[in-house]
Amino acid sequence: MPRRRGFGERERFMLALILPAFAILIAFQIVPILIGANASFRRWSLFNPEKAFVGLENYARILGDPIFYGTVLPNTFLFMFASVTAGLLSGLGLALLLNRRFRGERIARTAVLLPLMVPPVVAAIMVTWMFNDQFGVVNAVLTALGLEPIPWLISRWTSLGIVILTDVWLWTPWFTILILAALQTLPAEPHEAARIDGAGAWPLFRNITLPLLRPVLMVCITIRLIDAFRVFDIVWTITKGGPARSTEVFSIYAYKQAFVYLNFDLGSAASLIGAGIIMVVGAVLYKALSYAVEVSR
Amino acid sequence: MTAGWKRAFFTLTITGATLLLVFPVAWMVLTALRPASGVFYVHRGTEFTLANFAEALAKPEMKAAFFNSAFIATFATIFSLAVTITSGYMLSRFQGRASSLWFGLIYLFRCIPYISWVIPLYLLTQWLGILDTYLGLLLPHIAIHICFFSWIMKGFFDGISPEAEYAAYIDGCSRWGAFFRIALPMATPGIVALGILSWLYTWNEFLFALILTGSRTSMLTVRMAQFVHETGIEWHLMSATAVMAIGPALIVTLFAQEYVVKGLKV
Repeated sequence: MPRRRGFGERERFMLALILPAFAILIAFQIVPILIGANASFRRWSLFNPEKAFVGLENYARILGDPIFYGTVLPNTFLFMFASVTAGLLSGLGLALLLNRRFRGERIARTAVLLPLMVPPVVAAIMVTWMFNDQFGVVNAVLTALGLEPIPWLISRWTSLGIVILTDVWLWTPWFTILILAALQTLPAEPHEAARIDGAGAWPLFRNITLPLLRPVLMVCITIRLIDAFRVFDIVWTITKGGPARSTEVFSIYAYKQAFVYLNFDLGSAASLIGAGIIMVVGAVLYKALSYAVEVSR
Repeated sequence: MTAGWKRAFFTLTITGATLLLVFPVAWMVLTALRPASGVFYVHRGTEFTLANFAEALAKPEMKAAFFNSAFIATFATIFSLAVTITSGYMLSRFQGRASSLWFGLIYLFRCIPYISWVIPLYLLTQWLGILDTYLGLLLPHIAIHICFFSWIMKGFFDGISPEAEYAAYIDGCSRWGAFFRIALPMATPGIVALGILSWLYTWNEFLFALILTGSRTSMLTVRMAQFVHETGIEWHLMSATAVMAIGPALIVTLFAQEYVVKGLKV
């Protein structure tokens, strides 16, 4: 195909290909974000029909809210890092175990896929039931072992721990499947060469497997960190942000501002502050990702 | 370590990991099969019943929720695939400013937390008069997937060599002709895989369903979360509903594994 300058037949084809997706993106993502930005600069609540312009007042109120900077942001970052680290490590371990032929391989692989398909809300319900203080199986086991049963969901740290555990259960399989797929396409020569040289299992993994896996690990970490930042469903189902707002994460906080306290202005401002934070994190990760992929080429 | 110990260690860890992954689901199934009187001590007693499933389904709002979720998932999948196939094809086959601009936009909007656009989306759908209707739920559910699916579709087309399309151009085939007759059929396995996942994503989705639905179009996940918070003690009915809710997931896991694994590639 000869290349033409300007807006020719090639450009028309490109435009037609992305137009439907672009139109929906504008109407249902970009326009709402603009509406939200507008609301965040005004006084916009159910009881205030004036919608007066107040500049950055809403942002100042969110950033000055001790619950936001003292509880919500620490919880969100704790959740992000704990859940992604634990998911990555257990996913990597499981992928290394599964990367060979053995009896019962099919059963193990089916089991790995299962949590990935389960609705997060259902996973959260299952966990809430298992950790029920009176009738849950976890406390039944503790009692059988002669230990005191623990009222899991009445303290901040055990509640957060259970939420993180649920997320790790949901996402370990995802890491496993992506890492396993990468392991199976690794070239065999470096491993064989190192083995002939008498390298042990750990140096082999540390010096050869891990560097070769770097691109896929970086992609996994990037996607999961960005998604973990906006976690909502499992926290809402397990704790609703309680006890006493101590387990609220960013999405729960913004949701409550908008739909429980009915302050659309504060909810929008909070959600955009969060978007700003994750943009910065996302940009850094994007750079790191390009670098990691470049280095291992 | 000797070979025997190594083997034992391997078998133990892999069995342990498998059990940990399956246990919560198995426990839920077990709870669903216990009568109301036995549910608080699931591990004691041997009476089992299927009555919980019938009772859970007998509630009209649950029946409606199952239908709504299946309906929205099916149509959201069809439409979001339709618009992202071409968008991914564009990203894969064309280099240059337009293409990298579109990719940048997609990455940017993929990063924006859902809550940032679902709060004003509530105002928008209310203003359009489609809040708590199928349309008001369907359009946002298509929008959720645009960015991520375009990205994955690009990957599918990257895996197909464009040589065949070039050959078709030489034979006088138009750009659309080459796309429909050559590229699309070759990408079909990947698209089917993504379709299965897309259906499950919408079926499993919670935040949009929570905010954009009222009593008329409530989705299954929202009903179940309400169930826990309002009647937190009917665990036998809760479990029966949850087991039915993971039905599609179980079917896919058992019968369409290869497709799922293919669709998950990033």
